[in-house]
Amino acid sequence: MSCQRLKNWFDERYDFEGIRSFLKQKVVPVHKYGILYYTGGLTLFLFILQFITGMVLAFYYVPYHEQAHKSIIEIVTKLNMGWLFRSLHHWGAQIAIGVLFIHVFGTLLVKAYRKPREIIWITGFILLVISIFFGLSGYFLLWDERAFAAVRVATGGAGNLPFIGGFIKSFLRGSIDVTGETLVRFYAFHVCVLPLFTIFFIGLHGLLVQYHGMSVPISVEKDTKKYEPFFPNVLYKDFIIWLIALGVVVTISVLFPPEIGKKADPLAAPPENIKPEWYFLFLFQTLKLFPGDIMGLNGEMIAIILISLGILFFLLIPFFDRKSSRGEKSTLFTWIGILYTAYFIIMTIIGFLT
Amino acid sequence: MKKIVIFTIKTINKSIKYFIFSVPLLFFNVIALWAEEKIDVFPSTPYDQFIIYQALILFWIGIIGLIVILKMKLKEIERIQSMGIDKEEKDVPFLD
Amino acid sequence: MKLKFSLISRRQFLNTLFGGWLIAFLSGSFYALMKFAFPTLGKEPDFVVLNAKDFLDIPSNSVKPFAWGGKLGFIFKRPDNKTVALKGVCTHMECNISYKPEDKKFYCPCHKGWFDIDGKVLEGPPPKPLEFFDITQEGEKLIVAKKGIKVELPKA
Repeated sequence: MSCQRLKNWFDERYDFEGIRSFLKQKVVPVHKYGILYYTGGLTLFLFILQFITGMVLAFYYVPYHEQAHKSIIEIVTKLNMGWLFRSLHHWGAQIAIGVLFIHVFGTLLVKAYRKPREIIWITGFILLVISIFFGLSGYFLLWDERAFAAVRVATGGAGNLPFIGGFIKSFLRGSIDVTGETLVRFYAFHVCVLPLFTIFFIGLHGLLVQYHGMSVPISVEKDTKKYEPFFPNVLYKDFIIWLIALGVVVTISVLFPPEIGKKADPLAAPPENIKPEWYFLFLFQTLKLFPGDIMGLNGEMIAIILISLGILFFLLIPFFDRKSSRGEKSTLFTWIGILYTAYFIIMTIIGFLT
Repeated sequence: MKKIVIFTIKTINKSIKYFIFSVPLLFFNVIALWAEEKIDVFPSTPYDQFIIYQALILFWIGIIGLIVILKMKLKEIERIQSMGIDKEEKDVPFLD
Repeated sequence: MKLKFSLISRRQFLNTLFGGWLIAFLSGSFYALMKFAFPTLGKEPDFVVLNAKDFLDIPSNSVKPFAWGGKLGFIFKRPDNKTVALKGVCTHMECNISYKPEDKKFYCPCHKGWFDIDGKVLEGPPPKPLEFFDITQEGEKLIVAKKGIKVELPKA
């Protein structure tokens, strides 16, 4: 084969030796929490899948409020394999966000955020926010009743933030209320703005992980003596996990294609028992906890402020957790991590059941 | 007595028959009601469905095959690594 | 003859198997993706049916456009009052052509191609003459068909 000549051609022009030796040197520690190392790669893979299915769906989707709903019906009923790719994009998103949460809470609980990896945590947090906004904007593109109500509630909720709320709300909605303008805006976010930011932050996130190497949890740091080479051992295991994930996504998509809801009507009342996507349920339930009026103050505003503070604390955890950044055991933050995880899980389940 | 017994059994049979016949009808009505609002999100002809399920099975065969090969490759690599012959020696003199 | 050891190593065998399987798997998935990504192509029609009244009364030495599938078609009343139909698409780069009554020529503005009223190329880059259609009138219907295609309308 002429591969050798091609290889020589590149070798004469570029220094591949650096990359090759880097790949050879990269090792992954072996310990009982090792499975968590694969969640990041799996999230990446599912995001790539979303990019691919999203690209082909964008060939046919019409981001205009009179045609959006119709164009989805056409994708599903008329085009070759259209139903499959819409279903893949739908379920791929659900599973990607699920795996993303596992990745987030996993790194939180093993304190992979501690010094010197604070910036990795921050880029990861930004990616989490982007992903959730991805979900919201993508959901709105369906232009059905549920999406309409969900976006009204979400943008209205953001509008309750003091000082900046009004600006955020009008920026997101593109007009006073949720209208066709909002659809165009959310389309732009979903297919252009967010993907570009995602690529940038995933690149940064990944590069920093390579720079710092894999984090080892404090509790097993002393016992970890075995290392596995990343290339090819861990990469092959990554591939195996990716293949299984691909199979699961495709199977679910084939067996449970999502229904198409009724077209949104801005003047109609939202349907009964309306619920947001599952990854918003914990916020939804939190908002329900607060009465409308707390000692003469707007209850919703207080709820939004408290939620914002909770999220802000979550972002800044690496800076508050002094002990673990010194390499000591930090029980308090283990409990805080468990609290966050448990709150998310319990509130999501309650949201599901009620 | 006998006659009466037979009669009742017959009537029961009849009512069961009606019941059995009416159940699918009931279902059919419900499906028809649903169908008015729902849009087919899955190909409806049995032939298309057969092709899809067949493709899904083939897809899984492809995935499982790849996984098996990857596992074999992994084993092979680990065997070589445990023998310690995967590392290149730095001081090997060039032949040419 | 039996060899004591294999000529290909286990690694080579696995690599070939893996590569082949992976290529087959990926091309299968890619095929599905492309099947969706490529448009469900519409064919150019074999014939179209027009309303005869709208097209037969046009003045001499003029054209009237009609839709030939998604493309432009012309019903053309020649200066000698003969009515013909042609595809209004240049044979060079598929630009729409227009009729210049004062010159009695068809003109393609994209690359300055000129055709005469029989569709022959007079000037410019077009490689082939324009495509003409057969027209037949059936009552109030005007049938424009590709040359050599027999159209049988269902009797209604």
